[in-house]
Amino acid sequence: MTGTPPTLWSSLREHLDLARELRYLEIRFDAEKCKGTWQCYEVCPVGCWTPSKPLRVVEFHNPELCIACGACVLQCPESAIELS
Amino acid sequence: MIMATVFMKWLEKNPADYDRGIRLLTLGRIRQIQQWIVDTYVRKGIRILEIGCGTGTLAVMMAEKGAVITAIDASPSMLGVAERKIAANNLGTLITLKRMDAAQIGDVYEQESFDLIVSSLVFSELPEDEKKYVLSLCRKLLAPGGKLVIADERIPGGFSPRLLYYLFRFPLALLTWLLTRTTTTPLRGFNSALEGAGFQVHPAASYLGNSLVVYESQAALESAQPTTPEGTAALPAGVVGRLRHRVTLRTLLLDLWLLFFRIMPPYPKVRPGLYAVGEPDRSSPVLVTGNFDLTVRRLVKAIDGAVNAWLLVADSAGINVWCAAGGGYFTAEKVIAAVKSSHLERVVNHHALILPQLCANGVDGWRIRRETGWGVHWGPAKARDIPAYLQARRQKTDAMRWVRFPLADRLEMVTVTLGFYSLLILLPVLIFWRGLFWPITFSLLGLSYFYAVVHPWLPGRDGLYKSIPLAFIALAGLLLYTVLWNQLPGLSLFHWAVGLTGLSVFTAAELQGMSPLMRGEQANWSYEAVIGLALAAVYWLIPHITGWVS
Repeated sequence: MTGTPPTLWSSLREHLDLARELRYLEIRFDAEKCKGTWQCYEVCPVGCWTPSKPLRVVEFHNPELCIACGACVLQCPESAIELS
Repeated sequence: MIMATVFMKWLEKNPADYDRGIRLLTLGRIRQIQQWIVDTYVRKGIRILEIGCGTGTLAVMMAEKGAVITAIDASPSMLGVAERKIAANNLGTLITLKRMDAAQIGDVYEQESFDLIVSSLVFSELPEDEKKYVLSLCRKLLAPGGKLVIADERIPGGFSPRLLYYLFRFPLALLTWLLTRTTTTPLRGFNSALEGAGFQVHPAASYLGNSLVVYESQAALESAQPTTPEGTAALPAGVVGRLRHRVTLRTLLLDLWLLFFRIMPPYPKVRPGLYAVGEPDRSSPVLVTGNFDLTVRRLVKAIDGAVNAWLLVADSAGINVWCAAGGGYFTAEKVIAAVKSSHLERVVNHHALILPQLCANGVDGWRIRRETGWGVHWGPAKARDIPAYLQARRQKTDAMRWVRFPLADRLEMVTVTLGFYSLLILLPVLIFWRGLFWPITFSLLGLSYFYAVVHPWLPGRDGLYKSIPLAFIALAGLLLYTVLWNQLPGLSLFHWAVGLTGLSVFTAAELQGMSPLMRGEQANWSYEAVIGLALAAVYWLIPHITGWVS
């Protein structure tokens, strides 16, 4: 391992930074890439995604419900969803 | 299902932690063992497969002797560190890194393509079935005369060595876990597993009172007959057993323990593998889950008697599926390994896996589809919806999809959180400030359960904001008490008011972590610390300054 070994303090800092980051993560959805597999809708535990039947795409709703769990990001086969 | 995010994040260990943990657990012997393996077995130009290379220490040592190494590991973060280490030593031409689970080596590498297969502290982490499966793959991958060298932990034989081992290991394991979140499980009966896979074994070296052993194995001339597990005569080969919903004294005691101390290891685990629930046949559905005892028991309770199904228990390190997936413990690789080592394709006539929806944050469904050819279907979020989901031919309603946080779950999680914090806070209070023990205990219990009940109606999403109305309610209660029932003297009224405010902030901010549904409560820690210190200063200083106490 290069760099300095982690200390109790640096590990704590890392945790806090991660927690802050986690809190402000937001979904970025590139609707152009969506091919309508609806995997995001299948896996979202809070109901942020709604399938739009005629167009075979999804719509992102209710960003305030998002818990940044990352399930839709991982399951999207087109990499159309990002958390940042 | 619902578990504190603080816990989930804490589980995410980093590679440096892992290295430190292993060094601590083995009291530094791991370096000696690695050196011994390099000196004894490694020569220039031989082809080596290292299963579970971790941060690449051994791979680098072996490459420095000129061997050609393929090193695999399932963890991308470990591989990241290994990659930097290899680049720093300029050994990129001799070492190939691959991210893969041990059970996949049979699909990727040709038969007889290695002269030496090494693995340290990996086999003890594999589930029983996977261990046997990977050993059989190793035998196929070894060239004639090739050797399999495995360094691992085991529980020594004989009464006094074993007693000494347990006395010594328990505090060491606890310390290591607290410092680095690294744990290991010693091997049992590994000799017979090696022999079962067609190897001739002899222990080549041992360290730390026989608790760290290097097994050297070579292909036996005649491979032993594969053994079938006992007591499963009515079930197809490869099925571990039948699971039924039962309430016994053991499950009741376990439930009681888990109600308070769920987040503290060792987590009760189920042996990974394929199980039958009810009377499944070849067309019955295959449900996949993790190997946390409570998860499996709740799942079996939900489906036993309602549906006949195969239950494929994959290794999630004994953690519930949501947290295990979030923390990187329950991954596509673990599911793939379970599918392969259980020979699922011989048991059912379809190719559909039903995964818990809540593991989708860490289990890559496309990777499973791609690498196994099995279809992945995301089942309901809660086990109790599985019968209805199967009835509806794998169609989910939105209610099955969405996770809510109803009162029963809130009360459960408050109890889980309190169990942990009672050890962290109440125990020191009991020891050092005896007089405060009962007031603090009752206030903490009262505030926590009250908060659990009113949680949805307190404004805001953040625990710190929610603590403001909570504190006001607590202070109003105190005021009512002193006016209507029992006039408190000024100083103790003041102490109660400050104390209740502090506990309200602590309760609301910490219980934010009850569920991943509430985000990032750890960001509150610094505010909590500041508020806590300020209140403590007020608590002790103001009475002195105003001359309340002399």
